[in-house]
Amino acid sequence: MAREAEIVSPRAGLVRGLLAGWAGLVYLFLFAPIALLVAFSFNANKYGTFPFTGWTTDWYAQVLHNYQIKDALYTSLKVAALVTLISTAVGTAAAFPLVRSRLPFRTGIRVGMTLPIMIPGLLIGISLLVLFTGTFHLQLSPETAVIGQSVYTTPFVLLIVAARLQGFDVALERAAADLGANTFNRLRYVVLPLIAPAVFAGALFAFTLSLDEFIITLFLIGGHNTLPIYIYTQVKFGITPEVNALASLLLAASLILIALAFAVPAAVRRLRRVTA
Amino acid sequence: MGRGQEVRGGGGHVLVSSLGQYAGFLPALVLYGVFFAAPLGLIVAYSFWKVVDYNVVHDWTLDNYHYFFSVSTYVSTFWATIWVSLVATAVTIAVAFPFAYWLARYVPKRLQRLLLLLVILPFWTSYLLRVYSWLNILGEQGAINRFLQWTHVTDRPVSFFLYDRPAVVLVLVYLYFPFAALTLYASLERFDWDQFKAARDLGATSATAIRKILLPQVRPGIVTSVIFVFIPILGEYLAPQLVGGTKGVMIGNLVVNFFSGAQYTRGAAAALLIAALIVILLVLFRRSLEVKDAYGA
Repeated sequence: MAREAEIVSPRAGLVRGLLAGWAGLVYLFLFAPIALLVAFSFNANKYGTFPFTGWTTDWYAQVLHNYQIKDALYTSLKVAALVTLISTAVGTAAAFPLVRSRLPFRTGIRVGMTLPIMIPGLLIGISLLVLFTGTFHLQLSPETAVIGQSVYTTPFVLLIVAARLQGFDVALERAAADLGANTFNRLRYVVLPLIAPAVFAGALFAFTLSLDEFIITLFLIGGHNTLPIYIYTQVKFGITPEVNALASLLLAASLILIALAFAVPAAVRRLRRVTA
Repeated sequence: MGRGQEVRGGGGHVLVSSLGQYAGFLPALVLYGVFFAAPLGLIVAYSFWKVVDYNVVHDWTLDNYHYFFSVSTYVSTFWATIWVSLVATAVTIAVAFPFAYWLARYVPKRLQRLLLLLVILPFWTSYLLRVYSWLNILGEQGAINRFLQWTHVTDRPVSFFLYDRPAVVLVLVYLYFPFAALTLYASLERFDWDQFKAARDLGATSATAIRKILLPQVRPGIVTSVIFVFIPILGEYLAPQLVGGTKGVMIGNLVVNFFSGAQYTRGAAAALLIAALIVILLVLFRRSLEVKDAYGA
């Protein structure tokens, strides 16, 4: 690396120090709002803000006993489970031809598939609203929200599984075929075990994204609430410590899920290296 | 959907049929055809249709666009959206570039991944909560005001920060910083710092080396991050809604207002203006995006 060889003049040292300070401010900027949110959720002050008047877990107890929140949690989990199922199946299936077939417009398709991530969720939400209510004359429900969220989450699964397939040695599969394995057995014993960690990670990402999704859901869920929608309806009336507590719980859930999504494939790889 | 088919196709074996190769795309094709492409097409059509007696009539007309540009507050919102998006994107890049530069150049390789992960982490938490957390800070009952009163700096809430465009820009920078940091880091990380050193050895100042050696090579990365930040901001709804108040309104808020008032065709036209801005942006930057290939990136 060039770093060691560099001659460090006092000025270069100053620039480096300034940049490091800047980076420190960036991390403060990124995490201070979240840290404050969590801090306020344990603050006895009933306005959910400064000053700190004492430590309490009352707000969490309130959250656990709020039936509206229980309802919203149930809807959130149901929607997230369905979204995970759909986007994992659709994304994984599409990853194979994307990586392996000799498609003429592969780059174009890859870009097209990432479009739902790039374009504002607002556009996905209203366009599906028009389709469901205007064309199909459907009643809005958690199921219509599932479809909208799946449009947004599937590309994530697709990209994660495709990345894994790219590093997959097709010769392994050919060898299995030469040894007499049929299509099903090749899939069952060779392909799936190798891509399973990526599929699992993709599923966890999809689940987390669904749990946190707001704007598409807002348009498509009708009279129901998911947790983010419930929080949104509460925020309109001002900040409450109860919402801070609920928000902290939702944050913790996301962070745990994402940590798992990053850690599990790495752990599987390490384990395989040890046992191999 | 039988996944066996794709494997068969991909494996390049006897059972391969040229169609089986693409079978895996089928579910995705249905999902994206019926629930992504078709609805977007429908929005385009709606924006050119009109409403008669609360029913959408398939008469082609430009009325919805005429209407949008005949109301002065909508027009000023249109320009304000472009302005806010430009400023927020510029600030985001200005904050993220020195950070990514520091990360790629001065941090040991092993630490880089961890520090980058920390930056992306907020992206995986709830978007609503990231906006909401600022309400906790900026609001009249928010942390800043409470803190100022608590410490007796002021005795009355200062509404200086909330419910105006600066607050919207601040929150937008917060929301989209991870995108910018990630893409900028990706291009800075590939940069060969020996070239930088060579330029210095040949007598260039650091500033000149950055301008003449570094920037041209990371330009595709900068363009990519501009696109990744600018596009979602154009369609932003929640940040202006929660921290912008009436002074921070953007097109996204107009779209939502139209739709919640069941004015579907007008809402579609406003939404299509966002889409048009996105297309213009992509066309404008098309050349710069192609440069990417020239660098073999």
